[in-house]
Amino acid sequence: MAETLDRTYAEGLLTVVEAEGVLERVEDELYQVARLVEGNTELREQLSDASVPVEQRLGVIEELLGDQAHQQTVAAVSYIVQAGRGRQLAAVADAFAELAAERRSRALAEVRTAVELSEEQRERLARALGEATGQQIDLKVVVDPAIMGGVVATVGETVIDGSVARRLEDVRARLTSS
Amino acid sequence: MNMWALMPVLATEEGGEESLSLLPEIPELVWGIIFFALLFAFLWKFALPRLGSTLDERAARIQGRLEEAESVRSEAEELRSQYQQRLSEAREEARSIVDEARQTGERRREELVRDAEEEAQQIRSQAREDAEAERGRVVQELRGQLAALSVELASKIVQKELDEEQHRDLVDLYINELSGLN
Repeated sequence: MAETLDRTYAEGLLTVVEAEGVLERVEDELYQVARLVEGNTELREQLSDASVPVEQRLGVIEELLGDQAHQQTVAAVSYIVQAGRGRQLAAVADAFAELAAERRSRALAEVRTAVELSEEQRERLARALGEATGQQIDLKVVVDPAIMGGVVATVGETVIDGSVARRLEDVRARLTSS
Repeated sequence: MNMWALMPVLATEEGGEESLSLLPEIPELVWGIIFFALLFAFLWKFALPRLGSTLDERAARIQGRLEEAESVRSEAEELRSQYQQRLSEAREEARSIVDEARQTGERRREELVRDAEEEAQQIRSQAREDAEAERGRVVQELRGQLAALSVELASKIVQKELDEEQHRDLVDLYINELSGLN
């Protein structure tokens, strides 16, 4: 039910952004904002706390994104928070990205890396993932130092974990079980 | 010597002229013999049979009492024998009861000892298992702590040592392996 609602919000936003012709940029920025909110409990609470006045929450968004993001991105986030869906911001952004990829007949791949990827690496990675899954891939790269190195790619339900953190976890599991 | 032949001689020697005659006159003697015979016949005919029957009755009574006494004695003997037998049986039964009680007690004692030994064995086994489990738990816990420390140390080293180029190499390695799978 909640997923359906998130998808409904995402579809509405997608229609507006697509009409404005800034789908790709807003899609990327919305995705990055979602990851930021996801990893920041305080920010998530601020945006989803109903006891905080809406104006104050919108002020936080303006301060956070301001002149860095496209105004359609700011409008989309503000719309989600105003609708009382601040806690579902990440889920709506994910649904948005998935819908956008579907519009392009592509699958969405979330790629987590410890450092930023070069353009050449993105292309090669998208190609490799496309060959592995048999689909055209849209990459959403999230810089996540917690993985310590390597890449974690998620396409739909499939997770291909090549991170240093996972290797260290494997070592820890082997040490514990031996 | 014939006493009747000596009688006149003695009278002569002691009496002189007036001889003392000790022998009865013949008629007296005859009458005496007759009366004696009559008396003997009378007694033989009447007194002796009655005396005999009295004696027979007395003998029979005595015999009856003797037999009765014998019967009583044999009855008493039989009773005594029965009593002895019952006493013997009672003693045997008492001995049997005592033996049975002793055997039951012995069996019970053995059961108690066996139960106690089994319980002690179980307690020892349980204690061994508990100690083993505790040892395993401690070892596992230490192993987990050691693993966590090792990984934490390794993580710090990796984070410190990995530079931009090595990060890029790791990403390239991932891409190449992913391409190699296809």
